[in-house]
Amino acid sequence: MDDKAIINMAVLAGEIMLRSGAETYRVEDTMKHILNTTGTAEAEALVMLTGIIVTVSHPGEEAVTVMRRVHDRGTNLHRIVEVNEISRQYCAGELSAEETREKLKKIRGKQYTTWMYNLATILVPAGFAPLFGGGFAEIISAGAAGAILAVLMTAGKRVRMSAFLLNILCAAGVAAAAAVLKVTEPVVNMDTVIISSIMPLVPGVAITNAIRDTLRGDYISGGARALEAFMTAAAVAIGVGAGIASVNILWQGGVLL
Amino acid sequence: MTELILAVFGSFIAIIGFAVLIETPWKYVPQAGIAGACGGGVYFFSAQSGLDVVMASFLSALVISLLAHIFARVFKAPVTVFLIAGILPTVPGAGMYRTVYYMIADDRTHAAYYLVQTLEIAGVIALAVFLMDTLFRIRPGRYVRRPGNAGGDRS
Repeated sequence: MDDKAIINMAVLAGEIMLRSGAETYRVEDTMKHILNTTGTAEAEALVMLTGIIVTVSHPGEEAVTVMRRVHDRGTNLHRIVEVNEISRQYCAGELSAEETREKLKKIRGKQYTTWMYNLATILVPAGFAPLFGGGFAEIISAGAAGAILAVLMTAGKRVRMSAFLLNILCAAGVAAAAAVLKVTEPVVNMDTVIISSIMPLVPGVAITNAIRDTLRGDYISGGARALEAFMTAAAVAIGVGAGIASVNILWQGGVLL
Repeated sequence: MTELILAVFGSFIAIIGFAVLIETPWKYVPQAGIAGACGGGVYFFSAQSGLDVVMASFLSALVISLLAHIFARVFKAPVTVFLIAGILPTVPGAGMYRTVYYMIADDRTHAAYYLVQTLEIAGVIALAVFLMDTLFRIRPGRYVRRPGNAGGDRS
């Protein structure tokens, strides 16, 4: 079989996984499994958070090296699972290299409709409210804050705002809404509402992946992800601070806190 | 007791919502929800019975990663699928918020306290995930490293 086709396929698989937020070791592992089907012992895959390098060499021949830069990353577990299954089938010999390439190219990005994402954005804060000590009023308020969040997120994505700025804006929006609520309806616990409604924004994914990469010895990716988690946390913190402070100073003259 | 049930049910709903946001395949969404609900329940119960927030987070993260590993083996999917969504109730969003709140309220003592608490919670989540990852990588009787599978598994 053609080595180059297999290498390209491995890089394609790796790129999809990396862009979907898979852990680095998983990407390397999947690519190595695919590369081993070239029948050589000298196959190496180096994956970092920002790029992929693959090299394969047969004894007495020149090595083939492919490099791919990966720019944008999100979290899409659907694609990770799909690539995982396809590469398994390929390595078990159930699929040919051509079929695998076609299948990899056909993997869809989104699997839910827009209103489902928006509904989910409302459900997350509403669901978390009881966990953080909220009652019925807090659940409703958190759900309403989630609706604001959904609107801001959809609008921000439409104008292609950077993730950092979008996080600040979303956090500021829900925090300001909760602060306004505290003024108009003092029975509602502002803390619970804000904590619940920033849950879709907090860097849970980045923290988990940073831990798992670091513990596997991928210090470069682990460190990069830890920094990513820190940046997201900082953005949410700045947003919450800006949201409360602006309502506090502009509307209430500094008596809210 | 009602509050505990409400917290568990709420976490279940919330984790299902979050699982949809990160594009979890629909067939794995309920399992992720169960992992998150158990974690939320443990967190709520421990916090209610007077345990420190950090310790409660540790226990809850431990339960979630244990369930994630079990689900990954039962349903033949990567651990990430269940772990990332499930771990969300433990992520220190509350600590982050309180740190900022006391910062803008000009209360440095409380701000520093909650900042350290946030970092501690992030640390114990790491510890819990690490413990379970290590535990599930122990394979008695298999010392030979196959080429291409240098100590890692794909499950």
